[in-house]
Amino acid sequence: MCGCENDLMKKVYETGFALDDILLYLDTHPTDVEAMTYYRYAQQANRDAVRAYEQVYGPLMITQVASDDWSWMKNPWPWEGGMH
Amino acid sequence: MWRYEKRLQYPVKITQTNPKLAQFIISQYGGPDGEAAAALRYLSQRYAMPYEKGKAILNDIGTEELGHFEIIGAIVHQLTRNLTPKEIEESGFGPYYIDHTTGIWPQAAGGIPLNACEFQSKGDPITDLFENLAAEQKARTTYDNILRVVKDPEVCDPIRFLRAREVVHFQRFGEALRDVQDHLDSRNFYAFNPAFDKTAGDKNC
Repeated sequence: MCGCENDLMKKVYETGFALDDILLYLDTHPTDVEAMTYYRYAQQANRDAVRAYEQVYGPLMITQVASDDWSWMKNPWPWEGGMH
Repeated sequence: MWRYEKRLQYPVKITQTNPKLAQFIISQYGGPDGEAAAALRYLSQRYAMPYEKGKAILNDIGTEELGHFEIIGAIVHQLTRNLTPKEIEESGFGPYYIDHTTGIWPQAAGGIPLNACEFQSKGDPITDLFENLAAEQKARTTYDNILRVVKDPEVCDPIRFLRAREVVHFQRFGEALRDVQDHLDSRNFYAFNPAFDKTAGDKNC
């Protein structure tokens, strides 16, 4: 169960978690070539997922505010999930 | 520095309020083995860590704990939205409500506020990493205790995620501890504190 409101968000969660997990592994196994290859794969998948999400729902990071109005605070905040 | 990513690390979408359960789970927000204490512990310990793997793992697990702190806050918030005074009284949420209404405040399940005395930053890499291994197990036990009393799958799901991360963090801290010991004298890891003594001879007696 994801609880994600849509598939674009689900992809952001999945690829974001892949990065969170491989990050810690690489911190203690910095010379593992296979892990580094996986990191590159997860990094690209996460970039693609974030870009696809942001095009539809607005910025996830403050650096990605693309519109002329202040889209940063237009979407619900993450702790507000459910009951909408 | 940190910059906000506008999502949780793991989604929380709870449709049924349950103030009694919120009172249990808030312990992982501000309790002795909670996520705030974890983030403060690891991020504070970074400065005394002399080795690169140790610095990276303290920094990055400390950062992830901030994300867990936010997940717990979201769970407690969603379990206590739109409560009626009757629900508050009947669920035993009254004492918390009197002090905080339904705002989120870092306390243990028993009401004790978040306290820096619940963790250490000892300035010794071996000591700190052993503390962290224990901390991850204590948090895992707390999540096990929570999971025994949770019936709602919408609550179980993010709690199970957090429990699994405690196990991963325990593993990574173990690896960091081994790396610290690899830098030290294998006949006596405690010959000197690598965060303080420049050579073994600095430690008197």
